[in-house]
Amino acid sequence: MSVVFVNTLISTRQTASATNEAVAEVSSFYLEAMADRCAKTIMNLINSNFEQMEKAVDLIIDEEIGSEEELREAIGSLTSLLSLDRFALVDTDNIVYTQYTTYTGGSRHAFLSDDTMDKRYISTVSIYGSSKQLCLAAPTPDFEIAGKHYKASFVQIDVNEILDLLAFEDAGGTYFGLYSKNGENLSGTKLGSFISQHNLLETVKEVIPEESWNEHCDNFSNAVEGSITYTVNGTDETLCYVPVEGTDWMMVVLISDSVIQNRIRSISGRSLSTSRRQIAFILIFSFILLLVLLLMMKILSKKDLDTFRNMANTDSMTGVRNKLAYSEMETLLDQRIRENAIEKLAVVVCDVNGLKQVNDTLGHTAGDELIKEASSLICGHFTHGAVYRIGGDEFVVILQDRVCDTLHEEIDKINREIEENMEKNKVVIAIGYSELTPEDRLVHEIFERADQMMYKRKAQLKQMGSPTGSDRAM
Amino acid sequence: MGYHHKKAGILTCTLLASVVLASCSFAPSGTGPEGSPIPKETGDTVEAASGSDDAVNSAVDFDHELDQYEPKKDHYNFYFTYKIVHPWWDAVALGMEDAQRKFLEKGITITYEYMAPEAASAEDQARRLLEVRDRDFDVIGVDVADEEIISPILDDMVDSGFKVMTFSSSDAAEGCKRIAYVGNTHNYQDGADLTEALCKKLGYKGKVAVLVGSVGAPCHEDRARGAKDTIARYSDMSIVATEYDMDSVDNAYNLTKKILADTPDLDGIICCNMSNPVGAARAVTETGSDTVIVGMDHDQEALHYLKDGIIYCLGVQDCYSIGFDTLQNAVKIADGNKPGELFREKTDEITTVIYQEDAAIMLELLYGDN
Repeated sequence: MSVVFVNTLISTRQTASATNEAVAEVSSFYLEAMADRCAKTIMNLINSNFEQMEKAVDLIIDEEIGSEEELREAIGSLTSLLSLDRFALVDTDNIVYTQYTTYTGGSRHAFLSDDTMDKRYISTVSIYGSSKQLCLAAPTPDFEIAGKHYKASFVQIDVNEILDLLAFEDAGGTYFGLYSKNGENLSGTKLGSFISQHNLLETVKEVIPEESWNEHCDNFSNAVEGSITYTVNGTDETLCYVPVEGTDWMMVVLISDSVIQNRIRSISGRSLSTSRRQIAFILIFSFILLLVLLLMMKILSKKDLDTFRNMANTDSMTGVRNKLAYSEMETLLDQRIRENAIEKLAVVVCDVNGLKQVNDTLGHTAGDELIKEASSLICGHFTHGAVYRIGGDEFVVILQDRVCDTLHEEIDKINREIEENMEKNKVVIAIGYSELTPEDRLVHEIFERADQMMYKRKAQLKQMGSPTGSDRAM
Repeated sequence: MGYHHKKAGILTCTLLASVVLASCSFAPSGTGPEGSPIPKETGDTVEAASGSDDAVNSAVDFDHELDQYEPKKDHYNFYFTYKIVHPWWDAVALGMEDAQRKFLEKGITITYEYMAPEAASAEDQARRLLEVRDRDFDVIGVDVADEEIISPILDDMVDSGFKVMTFSSSDAAEGCKRIAYVGNTHNYQDGADLTEALCKKLGYKGKVAVLVGSVGAPCHEDRARGAKDTIARYSDMSIVATEYDMDSVDNAYNLTKKILADTPDLDGIICCNMSNPVGAARAVTETGSDTVIVGMDHDQEALHYLKDGIIYCLGVQDCYSIGFDTLQNAVKIADGNKPGELFREKTDEITTVIYQEDAAIMLELLYGDN
C-alpha cells in the first residue's frame, strides 16, 4: 500500500510538471496563431477597403457628375452601397468632399501634406476627443469632375470598429489590442488588468528584465513579432505581438493566467482526480480487506489454527504426517539434543518394497493402495510413535522417552508380520532403526544409521524372496 | 443643451473653487501648481484644480445632445469660413460634425462648407464672402479674420438679406449686425489670466515677450491686449518684444529663437494663439533656455511640452462645444429666429487653464494619448 501511495504521489507531481511545460508551449503557440490571424483579418479589411475605394471612384467617373451637390449624392450612395466608412474625395487644393460637408483639410489629414500622391497611404489618426482611426488614402490620377482635379480618395475606420471585427475570436480571459510602435494603446481597449489601457512597453518595463525590455522595444520599432511573459501578483500572463502589415500597428493578444492553461489544467486535473480516486479506492479496499482478514484470523480458534497447521503437515493419502512435519520435528529435536533435553530417542526408517513395480504393472491406484496398507501396518505397530511419510515409499517413525523401551519388541513383531505378508503377497516393508547415543548431535545421524540398517534388511528380505508386488492380488 | 451643460460645468467649478478656497483661505487666489492647488474662475476662464480629473475633464465637453428645438425644415445648407487651415478649427469641425450626425438621426439633413485659406488673410475671407453671395446658403458663419475689414462686409450682407453669424474664436466688431456669435467671448481675459500666472511664477519681476497669431485677428489681438495690460500693472516687468507668427508654428519657432538671441536673459513668453506655444517650446528646448512659457490651446505637441515642464500653463478652449453649438444655433438662425430664449446673442464658452499635473489627463481626454 505504501508503495502504491508513494508511486501515486510521484506520478502526480510528474504529470503536473509535464502539464505546466506543455501549457507554456501551447499557450505561446496559441497566442501567436491568434495574433497572426487577427493581423491578417485587419490586412484583409485594409485591402478590401482600398479595392472598394477604387471601385467607388470608377463608379463616380461613370456617373458624369456636373455639380458639387451631385458629387455629394454620389459619395453618399456609394458610401452606403460599398459599406465604406467616411468615404471622401480630395481635390488638388486639399478641399475634402464628403457626403455632407466640404472642408479645407490640409491640417486635418496628414497625407495631404504632400503636394502629390503616387501610392497608397496608411496612417493612424488621432481624432480630437475621439478614438484613434485608421486612415486609408489612395491616389486618383486623372480623376476630374467639372474641370476640377481630384488627387485622392480616402476612408477613415474607427479602431474600435476594427476590434469589433475581431471580437468573434475573443474568448473569456483573452484580450486584444492595437498598439503603436512606441507601445501606445491605439484601440483604447483593456489588455488585462495589469497593462489595462496604459502604454504597453512602459507598463511591462517594471516586470521584465531591462535587456528583455530593450529587445521588445526594438521589436516594436522594427515591426518584428515576439512575445512577453511576466508574472504579476502571482499570475502568469503571456502576450504575443504581431505587426499588421502595411500599418505601423502591433496586434497584441494576451491571455491572463491563460484560458488554455486553465483548460489544460482542468482536463489534467480531472484526469489526475480520477486516478487519485481510483487509487484511493484500491487503497481503502485493500485496507478493509486486510482488516477483515485480521479480524477473521483473530476469530479463528487456536484449535482451528492447529487444524490448519495439521492440514499443512499431513500427508493427504495416508493421514500420517508429511515430510514438512518431519523437518519441523527434526529441527525441534536437534535443538533438544543440543540442549540435552531429551533422554531417549529412536528413529525407525521404513521402506515399502516393490512400489515401483506395482505402479508400473498395476497402475498408480494399486500403488496408492500399497502405500496406504504400509502406513496402516506401521501405525498399527507404533501406536505411541509419530509416523511420517517422507518419500513416495518411505516412512519414518520417531519414538521418544518410554516408548523407546518397547522398540525392539515392536520391531520384532512388525518384522514377523512382514515375513508372514511375504507369503500372503501382502505389503512388505524393510525396516531399520537406531537410537540416540551420547555422541549424536543431530537426528539425522540417528536417521543415517537406521537407513543403513533398513537397506540391509531390504537385501535380506530380497534373499528371502520378497515379492516385487506385481503379483499382488487386487 | 450645450449651453446648459457648460453653465452647469462652470457652476460645478465655482462650487469646487469655493469649497477649496473656504478651506484654504490663507492661500493667495489663483495659485498655480507650485503654490496651493486652488481652482479659480475669472470671468469664463477656469483655472483647473491641480491634479483634479474632474476640472480637467470638464474643460472640453464631448457629451452633447441637441436641445428641444424643432427645426422647420428637413434640409439646411450652411457656409462657414474661418481664419486659417489649422488644427484648432479641426477640433471645432468635429463638434459641428457631431451636431450634424445628431440632426441626421432626427431626419434633418445638414450640408455645409467649412473653408479657410492656407495663410490667414482678411482679404481672402472678404473674397470668399463675396463669392457666397451668389450661392444659396441658409446661414453664413464667419470666424472674423480682421474685424475692421470683415465687419462692414458682414453688415452689408445682413442688409442684403443674408443670415450671418460669427463663430469660434473671433467675433465681429462691436455693433456689427451679425445675428449671433458662438465662441470665446473672453479672449482679453484669457490673455490677462495667462499673463497673471506668468507674473506670479516670475515673482512679478522680469522681461517677457509676447507672441501673437495673425495681425488683426480679434481673438489674438484681444489676448495680446490682455497680456500687455497685465504686464503694465507690475513695475518690475517689461515687454521686450511683440511678434506675430501669422498662425505658423515655424514662424513662432524662428521668432522665439530671434527674441532669445536678442534677449538672452528673457524670463517669459506669452503665447496668444495655438501655434505660438509650440514654436516657442521648440526654440526654448533647442536653446536650453529656462524661459517660462504660457500659452493658448490644446495642440498635442504643446500638451506634451506642458507634461514635460517646458510650458508652464495652457489655456484650453472647449472647441468641440463651440462647433456643436455653432451648428445648432445656425439651424435656429436659418429658421428666422433671433437671439433670445432659443439662443444667446453671445455664448459663454469656457477656457480652462491647465498645468503640468493636468497634461496627462488632457492628452488622454483629447487624443487618447497614453
